[in-house]
Amino acid sequence: MAQFFDIITTAAILFSVATGLLLVFGVMKIINFAHGGFLTVGGYSALLVTNLGLNPWWSLPFAFVIGFGCGMIIERLVVRPLYSRPLDAILATWGLGIILGQLITLAFGREVQFVQSPVSGAMDLLGASYSQYRLILVFAAVALALVLGLVLNGTRLGLQTRAVIMNENLARALGINSGLVRFVTFSLGAALASLAGALITPLSSVDPNMGVPWLVNAFMLVLVSGISLLSLAIACLALGGAQVLVSVYGNPVLGGLTIVVLAALILRIRPQGFARE
Amino acid sequence: MSSVPAAEVGVPAASKHRRRRSDLRLVLGFSAAALVLVAVGPYVLPDYLVNNLVRAFLYAVVALTVDILWGYTGVLTFGQSAFFGIGAYAAGLVFTHMGFSPAHAWLAFGAAILVSALVAVLVGWLSFYHGASPLYASVVSLVLPIAVTQLLYSGGTFTGSSSGLSGFASFDIEMNTWFWIAGAFLVLVTGAAWMFVRSDAGRVLVAIRENEPRCEYLGINVSRVKILLLVVMAVIAAMAGYAFAGVQMVVAPEYAGFVFGTELVIWVALGGRGTLIGPVIGTLLIDVSTAYLSGNLPFIWKLIIGLAFVVVIVALPQGIAPLVKRLFRGGGAVDPAKQAPALGIAREEPLAGLAGGGVHAISLHDVRKHFGSLVVLQGIDFQARRGELLSLVGPNGAGKTTLMRCISDGAERSGGTVLVNDHDIERKPPYDCVAFGVGRKFQNANTFDALTVAESLRIARTRLERPSVWTRAGVLELPEAALKVMQATGLDQKLGGEVRHLSHGQKQALELAMVLALEPSVLLLDEPTAGLTKPERMLIGQILVELTGKHGLCILLVEHDLDFVREISSRVIVLHQGRLVLDGTVTEVVESELVRTIYAGGGRIGGAAR
Repeated sequence: MAQFFDIITTAAILFSVATGLLLVFGVMKIINFAHGGFLTVGGYSALLVTNLGLNPWWSLPFAFVIGFGCGMIIERLVVRPLYSRPLDAILATWGLGIILGQLITLAFGREVQFVQSPVSGAMDLLGASYSQYRLILVFAAVALALVLGLVLNGTRLGLQTRAVIMNENLARALGINSGLVRFVTFSLGAALASLAGALITPLSSVDPNMGVPWLVNAFMLVLVSGISLLSLAIACLALGGAQVLVSVYGNPVLGGLTIVVLAALILRIRPQGFARE
Repeated sequence: MSSVPAAEVGVPAASKHRRRRSDLRLVLGFSAAALVLVAVGPYVLPDYLVNNLVRAFLYAVVALTVDILWGYTGVLTFGQSAFFGIGAYAAGLVFTHMGFSPAHAWLAFGAAILVSALVAVLVGWLSFYHGASPLYASVVSLVLPIAVTQLLYSGGTFTGSSSGLSGFASFDIEMNTWFWIAGAFLVLVTGAAWMFVRSDAGRVLVAIRENEPRCEYLGINVSRVKILLLVVMAVIAAMAGYAFAGVQMVVAPEYAGFVFGTELVIWVALGGRGTLIGPVIGTLLIDVSTAYLSGNLPFIWKLIIGLAFVVVIVALPQGIAPLVKRLFRGGGAVDPAKQAPALGIAREEPLAGLAGGGVHAISLHDVRKHFGSLVVLQGIDFQARRGELLSLVGPNGAGKTTLMRCISDGAERSGGTVLVNDHDIERKPPYDCVAFGVGRKFQNANTFDALTVAESLRIARTRLERPSVWTRAGVLELPEAALKVMQATGLDQKLGGEVRHLSHGQKQALELAMVLALEPSVLLLDEPTAGLTKPERMLIGQILVELTGKHGLCILLVEHDLDFVREISSRVIVLHQGRLVLDGTVTEVVESELVRTIYAGGGRIGGAAR
């Protein structure tokens, strides 16, 4: 039973980490390598909340707002000029990740630090005792998916965003301000990454490079999912599940490789990955 | 009109040898100067700097491989560090577990080359296939170093896990000698790379970067070229890694890692991608200054590098080298006449090999194409023989271009069979269809902007004449028809000019000449004369008629200009809403009530389904 929870919670964590990247990739067709940096920003936002002695739950809105702010600045200065050069955008955002990491190092030091968890301890569920916080993360991921789905399908901006995803030129011709859509999307993507960073830090610790390993996994998950939240959820369950199983029955090192290797193979055989069509 | 006076268009034959020799002399001169610097280096430089430069030289070799892959060929790779690591660990593992001896040194060297080549073949097979996106190749190059480091971590005492291997016996060579070895290696690789990228084969890489689909439709198996290139670059990187382990006597997973892989890309980007010398200088400067500065300002220094990198990518995508170059040369352009080769007439064999034999040039049976539920083509059935000039007409959206695509790329159609010179094209990619005799000109001028006219035509000849890896041929031999198209449009006077400066009409003519240079036996032309003047159109029309009459080509032509069609066609096929509605002589079609209705927008014909 604990293994089942491991799979579910791992998938939930991966999902929260990857959604921001998926959103940016879907709308802007660029891979945001600063995503890892934004995760780190979220982790340190949580650290700040701990250091200030506030209720740990505050770290979530706090991280979201800080991430959104970073995203707004970066979209204006760096991402906008690179829209027509997707491979260069990868590089520039990777450089941004370095910059964010170094700024954080300068401000907080390079050592590993710990964040207070909002809840601790285990709870009994379906005959197994399991970490309460990991279970909460499942609800967080589901809530995230629902809110994002509602925004995309129920609001005017969401409708415009979907229009830009499908056909940017046509959307622009119809009077949609696609520049604004991209601006909001990138900032929201950064905010979601930061939020995810705050969500995952209580599980381990924060350090200036904490985002990098997550980045690579999230990146692969997004590539196999195409641009749909549903296929992202499927990909997280399938590949996250494989990771858990390989770690348990194989060894943890191979487990760490499972997602990237499987995703690369899936894309070679089926370039559209888990997406339909 | 029947023969082309080659001497008239050509440059005197002597100049071609002079140019090649001056190329060679230039690279030899630079290399000699660099070698002198390397030779005196250890005597004048402080020891600490010599130490750092040995490492930086080896890094620069790897940076060169990144530049050739990314700067020239357009394959953004984060994975060259993995090959460097493979080379380093080959030495580290053999020397640690078997001890050092000259025989073991050779064994480790062989292992470095073999393993890196095998891994490169595997990675190449994963990354490069017909229809792969460039993003995907970058992804695989990202996975590679991650996988290699994880394997090294899990190797326990065998690989030394996260702390790596150190303290193994290695070559008994002094640091000064290492400086000479590493320096000479770098000069050699740079010189060879310089010759290579300027050679005819090197131009193919740029053509791939500029326009990969066009290359495939010119019969070049792009994936194979990339895999081959990756293998060579991997072996060079592994050799650098091997030397690195030999001199440093320490190997660690970081040297095979993803972060080192991205650092290489950063150095190349800062120095100037696609310049060779830029990445070398960039690597040397950054790596050496990192050694000095990271002690004093560890985080600030990395921050500065990160900032510089982002600024360069956003504002100066070509890096710093071109800026410096412009400063020295004042932007002086090269004299095009000196650059261009002489034109010659090729001996044509359009029906040789696979393209030969067979009854029908094209033969389609029940060809269908749909995108999801949208049916674009259905039940297309027709045959065409050699010597026919078949025009395909129909209103916009009738499926004309789609039909062209289905004949020139086996993966395009949803059903039915296509035979070219009686060969079933099955699901074969465009370059195999070219081997069957297909030459396709696209609807919009589809050329290589960064290449010159002569270089573009040379690329088109790649399939028939294996390009040299070291030099550029002095004579460009083209089939008569291609030469005529060039003369008709004045392209023969612009051989050394870059394609991006041509007018739209000239680009169209160039693409037509490129396709003719393939010596196809089945020619697919999608609006070949759009953007040309009336006299140019007439000339090209004449050339097409001659190609069918004299050379027995089968031409399938899409045109909107019905006067042009009437003048040159031997047969006309009318497509409407994805169906073949009429197939007959020019007069039959022109007088048909049906065609008039279609073009007047008379709605659906013959119950055309949708």
